[in-house]
Amino acid sequence: MAGGAADCSFWERVLAKHCRVYELRNKERISVAAASKLLANMVYGYKGMGLSMGTMICGWDKRGPGLYYVDSDGQRLDGNMFAVGSGATYAYGVLDAGYSYDLPIERALALGQQAIYHATHRDAYSGGNVNLYHMKETGWEHIGWTDVLKLHYQYKNEKK
Amino acid sequence: MEFLIGFEGKDFVFLASDTSAARSIVMFKQDQDKMTPLGKNTMMAMCGEAGDVAQFSEYIQKNLQLYKIRNGYELSTKGMMNFTRKQLAEALRKNPYHVHTLMAGCDSTDGCSLYYLDYLSSSVKVPFAAHGYGAYFVLSLLDRWHKPDLTKDEAMILLKKCMAELKKRFIVTLPAMMVRIVDKNGIHTMPPLLEKDYVTMDTVQDGEPDRSIVRPLIL
Amino acid sequence: MSIMSYNGGAAIAMKGKNCVAIASDLRFGIQAQTVGMDFEKVFPMSDRLYLGLTGLATDVQTVVQKLAFQLKLYELRENRPISPKTFLSVVSNVLYEKRFGPYFIEPVIAGLDPKTSEPFIASCDLIGCPMEPEDFVVTGTCAVQMYGMCEALWQPDMEPDQLFECVSQALLNSVDRDAGSGWGAVVHIVEADKVTTRRLKARMD
Repeated sequence: MAGGAADCSFWERVLAKHCRVYELRNKERISVAAASKLLANMVYGYKGMGLSMGTMICGWDKRGPGLYYVDSDGQRLDGNMFAVGSGATYAYGVLDAGYSYDLPIERALALGQQAIYHATHRDAYSGGNVNLYHMKETGWEHIGWTDVLKLHYQYKNEKK
Repeated sequence: MEFLIGFEGKDFVFLASDTSAARSIVMFKQDQDKMTPLGKNTMMAMCGEAGDVAQFSEYIQKNLQLYKIRNGYELSTKGMMNFTRKQLAEALRKNPYHVHTLMAGCDSTDGCSLYYLDYLSSSVKVPFAAHGYGAYFVLSLLDRWHKPDLTKDEAMILLKKCMAELKKRFIVTLPAMMVRIVDKNGIHTMPPLLEKDYVTMDTVQDGEPDRSIVRPLIL
Repeated sequence: MSIMSYNGGAAIAMKGKNCVAIASDLRFGIQAQTVGMDFEKVFPMSDRLYLGLTGLATDVQTVVQKLAFQLKLYELRENRPISPKTFLSVVSNVLYEKRFGPYFIEPVIAGLDPKTSEPFIASCDLIGCPMEPEDFVVTGTCAVQMYGMCEALWQPDMEPDQLFECVSQALLNSVDRDAGSGWGAVVHIVEADKVTTRRLKARMD
């Protein structure tokens, strides 16, 4: 999630609550499509009131892997690859150069990490650590929390 | 929605500019040359406010020409940059020119150099640079792929890669790029790069992406 | 959007025992976009005299050239190097000349007196109000962070290597808490018999 930190953390929590309630009522986990639509509908109700969020919701359901983009305008898109936030344009540059749909997992993770690193490098408002997750059929796996300082100097020492 | 890009390579500097001349919702030209030669081994690419670009670039070019006539030799790239910066900075607090510039040159003292100059007249020597909204997309690509010992062929491929990204992600289309290379032998005009040739380096060969370009994961 | 933080940047100067330190970050940016990572904001003005300038990059460049010119005239006219205190007056007057249309920069000065080798640091605001404190001067988009670091780290009579550690820690930890500055740093330690210049390994985000 990117944008207003409070908006993001608050609406992420509210969405999580709704998903949990859905699960209890229906004895079945909510789909990615429905979860993302829940968020889109919620923030759409506040349109024009100054919410600022760019989010990506991903998961695995009956339809297989799902990825949705939802922002505070109420725009909701499904797709195979997104980047959000002030550094998104820089991230897209690197992502597009290395992406293909059938990328092996290890490479996909590496590509994501590099895209974020390059965004933190050029964008003043992005930085810190790269937090990496792998969303699998069985649930998510936390892959890593890597300081971009380490990435920068490791890449720099590499031959191009 | 103009776009200028430039990078240093091995013994040369590569400059490219978009070719549009537009005002409001009308496109006037699709073959506008935004580059101006300043000497035998120096040139600049300029974009910005319509009248300002023409006035300011001609003023700089003619004054540098006059300098050569008066003194019998040309200013260095650094010297030309400094002159341009000063003229723009002095104008800034009177009648500002709204122009963005890239200046490229090769001389015997400093070798090949590329300068970035914005409309406020801040000048920086850089290995690569881009002006306009396009910069938001290509700077990360240049960070990833640019190297100081780039060959001319690699430079062209890098430009194609950048243009492919803009074609994919930038809402404004840039149908063609004018390309020039400056080295110790002078300024060389390359054939314009057309939209059909905007392809990423890794798909040039057989349409299959080269996955070796992704570096290994670091934890 | 403030003009003073359009390009971003930070500079700092500190007094030690028979030495001074002056340092800056290396970022040149246009708001959020980092354009250059080799933009020094500390300039050697003469043998033992350094000037740090932060603020609007175009004015940094204009003012440093203007001051270098004034300084050469002074040295030619007087046939001796300028004292840091006199240089402060020059800077102050050059800035006040533009009282109603200022250069958007804030300078720091660090040097040793050419005769006595007495350490000297000073700073100005953008219209030339001079200040000569005993300990340290800071300027730039992370000035508040640097004040905090300096208040905690600075102590009187530091040796050159101690001073280097102090000024480097103060600068690096401050720029890391500011989006507009960082991307490398340069530190000069000025002593009577030598000047040591070092580039620091820094966070690049």
